[in-house]
Amino acid sequence: MWKIDSGVEVCALACLLASLVGLGSCAAPGGPGGPGGTGAMDATPAILPDERLPFSETIPASGISIEMVPVPGSLDGTIQPFYLSSTEIPWDAYDVLTFELDIDEGVEGVDGVTRPTRPYVAADRGFGHMGYPCVSISLNGAQAFCEWLTIVSGRLHRLPTEQEWEHAIKVGGTGAPAWDRSNAGESTHPIGSLPADALGLHDMSGNVAEWCTLPDGAGVMRGGSFLDDAEHTGLGGRMLPTPAWNVTDPQIPKSPWWLADGPFAGFRVLCETE
Amino acid sequence: MSKKKRNGFRRGPTRRSLLVGAAATPVAMGAASCAGLRPAGWEPEVIKVGLIGCGGRGTGAALQAMRAEAGTVVLHAMGDVFAEKMDSCAERLTTALGEENAGRMQVDPEHRFDGFDAYRKVIASGVDVVILTTPPHFRHVQLRAALEAGKHVFCEKPMAVDGPGVRSVLESAKLAKARKLSLVSGFCWRYSIPHREMWTRILDGQLGDLRAVYTTYNAGPNGTHKRKPEWDDMQFQLKNWPHFSWLSGDHITEQACHSLDKMAWAMGDEVPEKVWAIGGRQTAEGKARGNIYDHFSATFEYANGVKGFHMARQWPACAFDNTDHILGEHGSAFCNGWAPIHRIESKKTWNYEGPGNDMYQQEHDELFASIRAGKPLNDGVWMAHSSMLAIMARNSAYTGQPVTWQEAMADEARLGPDTYAWGDLAVEPVPIPGRRKKPAAKAEA
Repeated sequence: MWKIDSGVEVCALACLLASLVGLGSCAAPGGPGGPGGTGAMDATPAILPDERLPFSETIPASGISIEMVPVPGSLDGTIQPFYLSSTEIPWDAYDVLTFELDIDEGVEGVDGVTRPTRPYVAADRGFGHMGYPCVSISLNGAQAFCEWLTIVSGRLHRLPTEQEWEHAIKVGGTGAPAWDRSNAGESTHPIGSLPADALGLHDMSGNVAEWCTLPDGAGVMRGGSFLDDAEHTGLGGRMLPTPAWNVTDPQIPKSPWWLADGPFAGFRVLCETE
Repeated sequence: MSKKKRNGFRRGPTRRSLLVGAAATPVAMGAASCAGLRPAGWEPEVIKVGLIGCGGRGTGAALQAMRAEAGTVVLHAMGDVFAEKMDSCAERLTTALGEENAGRMQVDPEHRFDGFDAYRKVIASGVDVVILTTPPHFRHVQLRAALEAGKHVFCEKPMAVDGPGVRSVLESAKLAKARKLSLVSGFCWRYSIPHREMWTRILDGQLGDLRAVYTTYNAGPNGTHKRKPEWDDMQFQLKNWPHFSWLSGDHITEQACHSLDKMAWAMGDEVPEKVWAIGGRQTAEGKARGNIYDHFSATFEYANGVKGFHMARQWPACAFDNTDHILGEHGSAFCNGWAPIHRIESKKTWNYEGPGNDMYQQEHDELFASIRAGKPLNDGVWMAHSSMLAIMARNSAYTGQPVTWQEAMADEARLGPDTYAWGDLAVEPVPIPGRRKKPAAKAEA
């Protein structure tokens, strides 16, 4: 079903290990390229040493926690170190925000967050719910989740910038297996059901496309989804939002939270510091 | 109704009068309106639209109406029980139209009407077409009034919430036919091109004789509005209308009716003999969640032995499923309109591979094309019957009794207060199956 791009994988892993044990920086050439937005697509980035370990982010009232994986910064200083969720955000977590499942638990500070309206559309499309990545999520909805998680966790969570997302997939290695059009069977799949990349990130390629931000604050979806051919997943997956993603919302104003025509639209979160 | 008739566009004006109803405003297309016969400088008459019900769906429908033609459909009047809804609606429409198309928004201050009788004033304001998008309880009365006044109608679903309402809609369907007025329903999936492709194949017999239809509308609950101190009972219930049975008909009627309509469509709009249904209220808490159930399951029995199964649910933070499964002697069909997947697995497999369309826009494109062509569309009978499928299932679940089609069509029980006024309005208790005598209604705190 899938094949590891062994050269890149091994090299990235070696870089990471070198970094973790404090052997200094490492640059690996020859990573696969793609039509991404920030250029310099064809090299695994040189990274700073990084001794941090993953940590678990508990999602209140969900019964789950999300593993946050350290992503080393770039040697040239353009990318600061950060943590990225090892998986795409599942419904288990997103439902808490939408349906205020945490309110009865007395979580403080949540009142300041504007929460998504109840979805008009069949938001999970019948693909699967608990353990499956959330879909139909607008940029606004993804950012609201980050804002909420920041408040309830006390750690700054946000969407990755496109540059950070590209950095992470290049460091982790783009050869990790993916749910794409060829194998997904017209549906999303449970988060983390395929092996992770060298950083420990699952589904950076495929499954659901992931919201990132551009320098002007606009959104871009990276990584491609289960609907895309392999060449349009991973670094090759880049979509700018269009009105077509919400054309069948029959109401005016159209929902700022739910994309009636976005069965591919999900996200993962970045945490700046532990 | 022939299914073939429903599958094409009906563009192309004729010499027919734009409005031919007995009480129609005398707006004519002009003597030379046929394509190819137009004199230089010919412009089609402007069609004036009145919007009754200015919430999110009404605002969307008004925009779709104004976009059905390139500037010759204008919004002329608005009505809503709440004046402030018209303000937000007008603002959103103006934004959505943009400067270039701002001229399509022609609602003068004197053509904004609020209160319970706003619909009458909109209908009498000189419009040619009305859009009915209030909470469903009020629909059938507004529909009748609009058609009696000679107006073409876009009528959202469901068309009624009780037996008397359905009978009224059927009478209105006859009236529309007699007066050659267009009556287009908001059962939007029938205006989805991929769905038409799939259902046409089913009706053409690609599955052979049907054995069963299984549809689901398992979703989450609608949003609610916390009661404000200044609201009286009527205001509170209207603001939370999806959650009050008399206003919405319960969620099987208000929302899941789409799935029952698709079942009816697959069945060639044949009506069932009987329904057995169960339901209950398991997750809904708080006064704003009104008195509706939050889950239903129903089995419809058709004369030819076909069974129609349906499941509908509004539970928060649970899995969604909104799909259609049609089983026949040669295979099965599966539709997930949200994925989207349209598939028939029979002697050979068919998947819809073409483009999708904006079915909400399609409704209005076809409505206005039919008006221009003088070939009125009339969705009246099947839309009334599809509404009744939901109503009879709800009544079966509420009572714990099977309900036959004949019983449902003869049912005299009318939901809601006899007259509409601001002030106190008791809430009917949540129905308990098997309980013959209803407990007294409780005043809303």
